[in-house]
Amino acid sequence: MTEHDHDHERTVAPMVDEITDFEVLEVALRELCIEKGIFTAAEHRRFTEFAEQIGPTPAAHLVARAWLDPEFKALALAEPMAASKAVGVDWMEPTGFGTPSDFTAFQILEDTPNLHHVIVCALCSCYPRPILGNSPEWYRTPNYRRRLVRWPRQVLAEFGLYLPDDVEVRVQDSNQKHRFMVLPMRPEGTEGWTEDQLAEIVTRDCLIGVALPKVGVRTNVITDTRPAVHPVADRP
Amino acid sequence: GSGVKRNSHHLHAVGKGDPQVYAGQAGTPAFRVGDRVVVRDELPVLFYTRTPEYVRGATGEIAAVAYESPAAEDETWDRPDAAPEWFYVVRFTMAQLWHGYTGTSADTLQTEIPEHWLRAAG
Repeated sequence: MTEHDHDHERTVAPMVDEITDFEVLEVALRELCIEKGIFTAAEHRRFTEFAEQIGPTPAAHLVARAWLDPEFKALALAEPMAASKAVGVDWMEPTGFGTPSDFTAFQILEDTPNLHHVIVCALCSCYPRPILGNSPEWYRTPNYRRRLVRWPRQVLAEFGLYLPDDVEVRVQDSNQKHRFMVLPMRPEGTEGWTEDQLAEIVTRDCLIGVALPKVGVRTNVITDTRPAVHPVADRP
Repeated sequence: GSGVKRNSHHLHAVGKGDPQVYAGQAGTPAFRVGDRVVVRDELPVLFYTRTPEYVRGATGEIAAVAYESPAAEDETWDRPDAAPEWFYVVRFTMAQLWHGYTGTSADTLQTEIPEHWLRAAG
């Protein structure tokens, strides 16, 4: 074989340089499960697609609608899964009995001028996925799980949220089948806003309780982090 | 996967949801909203529990009578004879949970505890 008996233009480069142990095991486990009939390839695809289409938008609209409509707010607090349906989320999906890990016991925690809620799962990463999407990476870290239940005000301050002493901080640890989300207070300066306008400022972080909705803020919290001591650019 | 024994839970919960599928099976709840309760700290926690260590022995208040379900300690081992019991959202005062708590005396924490982990505060 000479060096140039194939067409470089038409050679497909590998997608990745190396396949990790995790990927090898994932393929082995999935293929064995399908081979043994534990689940089908179609079911695997269905769950993957379910997990890819969930996100915080329905929850943001639920909050916006609750701000605009006192009757809907009463429904959201009394029958949160019925209110979820009104924003397009059926907690019984995708199995007919809910997802196996998120259950169907949803509760909405209402903030007041003297009460602020923030959620955590100290045991793992339980999160209201059907209506909020997948949990953020930091929510799953031992750091957040270990500290929020004990030093909530310090942790919230790291997110840029400083609460006065006349506001009670209430941490909700989701350690069993209930899943929780926060219904924050409607901020000032939003008079006359539409549901879509209001939903835009209800970010995922507001629904977890590490941020408050603010006029002009449509993205999640960007925290100040300590700069690298030896940044890559400094290297020769 | 319809013939797989592991799918039996799915099949009996379809259309109802979990924990709704256990509704009506735990009898009368022992505690009501507002009751003062102590989290038992003498129960063994070998291999598995979902009652956080930080509330064991602490006194709290029932914030909600949540739902009926077998305890996670039984469900995790798929014990077929596990009896459903009542679960409660219990509210604790932070300053009582943590020595030297640095927030305010009003700050609270809520967590969910099954009935067998609770006793009435004396």
